[in-house]
Amino acid sequence: MGATDLTRLTRREFVKDGFVFAAGAAGLAAGYAAVPDVFARAVYAGKKDGVMNDRVLVMIQLAGGADGLQTVIPMNDSNLRNLRPTLSRAADTALPLGNSGQGLNRSMKGIKALYDQGKVAIMQGVGYPKPNFSHFDSIRIWETADPDRKQQDGWLGKTIASNYDSQGHPLVGCACGTSEVPGALRDLQATLSVVNGQNTFKFNGGDAERAMGVIYNGTPGIYGALFDTSVFSARDTIARLRTAQARYTPKATYNDNVNLVYSSRNQLASALQLAAQLIVSGVGAKILHVTLGGWDTHDQEFARHESLMGYVDTAVSAFHADLAAYGMADRVLVATWSEFGRRAQETGNAGTDRGTSAPMLLIGDTVKGGLYGETPSLNVGRDGNLKYGVDFRAVYQEILESHMKVDAREVISQRFERIPAVAV
Amino acid sequence: MGNQKKLPAKGGPTRRKVLVTALTAGAGVAAARVLGMRNLGSDTINEALDPMTAAAGMDPMGTYGAGTMDDPDGSLGIPDDSFFGPQNLDGTVLPEQLRPAATLPPVAASPRTITAAAPGALQPPISGITAPRIAGDLDWVSPLGTQQAMVTHLLRRATFGYTDAELDRALSEGYKATVDRFVDTPFAEPPAYTVRPAATPRPKPTATPTPRPSGVAATATPAATLTAAATKTPAPSPSLAAPMTNNTPINIGNLQVWWVDWMTQSPTPFGEKMTLFWHGHFTSDYRKVGTNSPAIYWQNLTWRKMAMGDLKSMLMQVTPDLAMLRYLDLAVSTGRAPNENYARELMELFTLGVGNYTEDDVKAAAKALAGWRLPMRTEPTAQTGIFDPKRAYTGAVTFLGKTAMFDAAGVVDQILAQEATATFVTRELARYFVSPGVSDAYVARLADGFRRSRYDVRSLMRSIFMSPEFTAPDAYRALIKSPTEFMISSAKALGATNLSRTMTGYGSMLGQNLFDPPSVAGWGDNASWISSNTMLQRANYVSTILGQLRAVPSAAKAHERHLDSVLGAGTVQELNNARDDRSRWFAVFAAPEFQLK
Repeated sequence: MGATDLTRLTRREFVKDGFVFAAGAAGLAAGYAAVPDVFARAVYAGKKDGVMNDRVLVMIQLAGGADGLQTVIPMNDSNLRNLRPTLSRAADTALPLGNSGQGLNRSMKGIKALYDQGKVAIMQGVGYPKPNFSHFDSIRIWETADPDRKQQDGWLGKTIASNYDSQGHPLVGCACGTSEVPGALRDLQATLSVVNGQNTFKFNGGDAERAMGVIYNGTPGIYGALFDTSVFSARDTIARLRTAQARYTPKATYNDNVNLVYSSRNQLASALQLAAQLIVSGVGAKILHVTLGGWDTHDQEFARHESLMGYVDTAVSAFHADLAAYGMADRVLVATWSEFGRRAQETGNAGTDRGTSAPMLLIGDTVKGGLYGETPSLNVGRDGNLKYGVDFRAVYQEILESHMKVDAREVISQRFERIPAVAV
Repeated sequence: MGNQKKLPAKGGPTRRKVLVTALTAGAGVAAARVLGMRNLGSDTINEALDPMTAAAGMDPMGTYGAGTMDDPDGSLGIPDDSFFGPQNLDGTVLPEQLRPAATLPPVAASPRTITAAAPGALQPPISGITAPRIAGDLDWVSPLGTQQAMVTHLLRRATFGYTDAELDRALSEGYKATVDRFVDTPFAEPPAYTVRPAATPRPKPTATPTPRPSGVAATATPAATLTAAATKTPAPSPSLAAPMTNNTPINIGNLQVWWVDWMTQSPTPFGEKMTLFWHGHFTSDYRKVGTNSPAIYWQNLTWRKMAMGDLKSMLMQVTPDLAMLRYLDLAVSTGRAPNENYARELMELFTLGVGNYTEDDVKAAAKALAGWRLPMRTEPTAQTGIFDPKRAYTGAVTFLGKTAMFDAAGVVDQILAQEATATFVTRELARYFVSPGVSDAYVARLADGFRRSRYDVRSLMRSIFMSPEFTAPDAYRALIKSPTEFMISSAKALGATNLSRTMTGYGSMLGQNLFDPPSVAGWGDNASWISSNTMLQRANYVSTILGQLRAVPSAAKAHERHLDSVLGAGTVQELNNARDDRSRWFAVFAAPEFQLK
C-alpha cells in the first residue's frame, strides 16, 4: 500500500482495517530509513494535499522566562559588565559564534557543535509590542500568537485543526512528558494526545480497554459519534504507543540524571526521547510539545541558568543524534520558546527580573544556520529592558510555512516579513 | 500602556526579598512544574500585592513548590492501578476469572435483539429486573414523561448526582417539592478551610513503584490517596484553627479537596452547583491570583453566599473581590492609568456580551471603575478591596450612552439598564442547566421575568426548573457532565465520601482543575470535555475509585437508578458481560449514558 493509498483511506476503512500501521510491519524489519510507509504514515494525517509531507516540529517551552543574555552572550560589549557585575563573567567562557561577537553559554557545547555544522538558527531579540510582564499573560500571548489576548486556541492547536486529521490520528499533536494539554496545543477542533510517559497512557485495569470497546459502539445521541471516536482514538493511540515502543531503540543516550542546581522536575530528556520514539516509529506525529520549567531566575542565576541550559543542551543533542542515527534528522525542527527574557540589569541578588525579548533557537537539518535579527542593544533605558527586534509571530510564520509547509495565515492574524531561517 | 514599563521597576526589592525567602525555603521553583510558573501575576500586580504576599512569606511560585512537596497531594503521577490490583482490596474482590460467572442477572437478552428492537420498546423483564428502555438507533428516548425520570434529571442538572438516600428523598417528595427545596433552602456553608501542618508525613506508597512521571502537578497515587484519606485529621488542633487572614498561606490542593468534600457532602448540593457555575462565570485563576493566596478562598465563600441573590449586589461583590481585583487587574487600575481588563470582561463575559458595548464604553468604564486597591500588610483581615478616592478618576465619562460621574455602583446600574444584560446572563444559565441549544424565544421569556424580578437569580432558577423546556425530550441527555460532575456523581452513587483526593488528582487530567479555569472565559462545556485523553482518564478514574473502595454497594439496580434504564446497545452488552458488582459499576460509570446529564 503506497503513500497515496493511505492518505485516501476513508475513516470507515480505517476503522474496519484496525490499526493501519500493521500494514507496514513487515517492511520495518528492514530498517526505518528503507521503509516507505514510515513516510506514508507521517503524511497520512494531512487533510489537504499541500501539507502531505514528512516534516515534524518539536517546540520546547522554557517556562519561567529564560534569560537571553546568559544564553547568547554579547562577549565584547562593555555595557554587559556594568549591567551585570556578576553574571557577565559568563562572557569570559562563552563559546564564540564565529566573528559575530556573540557567544553561547559554555554549557551549550552540543548546540554549539550543531551551530558549527550550520544546523542552528539563532533568532535574536524576539518579543512583541507592548511587553507584558505577567508570566501568566505572556505565556498565553505566546501560546495563542496573539498579543491582544483575544484568542483562546493555541497556535499549534490551530495548525493541527486546519491541516491534519487529528481525530483519526490522535498522535498528530502530542504533548510529551506532561499530563495537561499545553495552551499552545489547545484547540477545540483538534484531537490531541497528552502522553506523560509511555507507560501511563493506557487503561488501568486489565479489562477496562475491552469493556470500553464494547460500550462505545454505535452510541446514540448528539454526542454519540464524538464519544465513540474519542474512545476509538484512545485505544488506537495505546496501540500505536505499544508499536512505537516495540519499533524503537534509542541510538543516543538520554540522561535525565542531571544534577540541576535548580531542579525543574520536568524531565526534558525523557520527554524528548518519547518524542523521538513517536517520530521514529512512524505513528503519525507532526507537532510535539515539551516543557522545561525553572527559568524564573530572580536570584543566584549564574549556576542555575547554566545548569538548566546544560540540561537542554544534552537533551537536545541526544535527540538530534538519535534522529540522525535513524536518518530522520532532516525532517525534524526543534525550536525553543520562553514567555520573555529577563531584565538586562542584574538584581542585588545576582539574578534578574522579568524582561522582554530573548533569542529563540531553531535547531535541525532544515535550518539555515546563523544569527538572525539584530543583536539587542545594551544601551537600555531606565526600565532596563531590551528592545525587541523580531516579532515572535514572524518566527512562527517561518516555522509553519518553510518547515511545516502549511499556511500560516490560518493561524496568525498578521503577516510578517519573512525571516529566511529555514531552507525551503 | 506606558505604565507597564514604568511599574515593574518599582516592584523590585520586596519582590526579590520574597523570592529569596521562598528559594531558601528549599523547593522553590524547583517544585513548580512548568505551569507553576504561570502563577506569578504581573509585576504591576505584585507591586500592589507585595504587602500581602510578603507578609505571608509566600511567593506564589516558591511556596507553591514547597507546598507541592510537603503535601499528600504532591504525590504525582497518573494512578496506575487496576481495580483488580493488589492494593487495599478486601477478599471480596477477586481476579475476574476466579469469580463465579453470571452472579448478576442479565440486563437484557442479547445486544443484537436490542438493536433490532423498535426505538423505545421495552424488553421483557428478565430475572425480576425491569428491562431497559433502550435507546433508538439515533437518539436516546426521553423518559422525562415519568416523575422518576424527571427527578433524576433534576438531580443531575441541579446537583452533582445523588446518593441512594438523596434520590429516595427526592422521589418521595416529588419533582416540584424538590425544586422548591433546592431553590428556597439557604445554602449550607462549608466548614472553614483549615491550614494543616506544612509537613504532613506521608508514608511511602506500598503499591508497585512506577516511574515517577515528570511535570505532573497534583495527582495522588492510589495508595497515597488512601493513606491521606485514612490519616486525615478529623479535627484541627486549636492553634491551626486560628482565623485565617490575608497573611495565611493556603495550599491550593487542599483547598480543592475542601471544596470537593463539600460538593460531595453538602446538605444543599444545589448551592455547590450554583457556586461552581459562578466560579466559571465570574472566573478567577489561582495561578494569577497567587498560588498560596487565600483570596481565591474568600472568593469561593463570597460566590456561594451571593449565588442566589440579585445581579446588582452580585456585581458589587465581584468588582472589589480580592481575587478578581488581581485576576483582572482592577487593583492596578488608576484614574491616571486605567487598566481596561476588568472593565472589558465585566461587559464582555459577565453581563452584556460582545456587540452590546463599544471600545469607548470599555475606556469609559475603566476610568469609572479605577480606584480599588488591595489591602496592605497592616489590613490583614480585609477580605475585599479598598476604594481609595485618590486613585480614582475624577472626571465625568460617557458610558453606554449616559454622561456622568460614575462610580462602581453607577457603572453596574448603567449595565443593568441595558436590555442585553438579562438576556446574556439568562442564556448562560439556560445553556448550563437546560440545553446548549436553548431557543431565543425561551431565553427571551426567562430574561423578561429576570428583569421584572429586578434580576433575582432565585426566581430565575425556579423559572428554569419549572419551565417545560427543562424537561422537554430534547433536553434529555443534551449536556455532558463536567469532570467534576462526573467524578462526584460516581462517588455519590457509591456512597463514598473518601475519594476527594482522588477526584482532585484526576481533575486536571480530565480537564477541570478547580480554581484553574483555562481562560478568563471560564470552563468549557459539553463537547470540549471529551477527547481521547479524557475518555481514557474518565475510565481510569472509575477503575481507580472502584479499586480504592473496600466495598461497593450492589450494582443490580444501578442502570435503573443512575441511567434511567435508557441504554445504548453497547452498554447493555457490557452490563451483561459484567460478572460482579465492581465490573457492573464500571460499565455504568464508564458508559456514555453516565457521561451525560
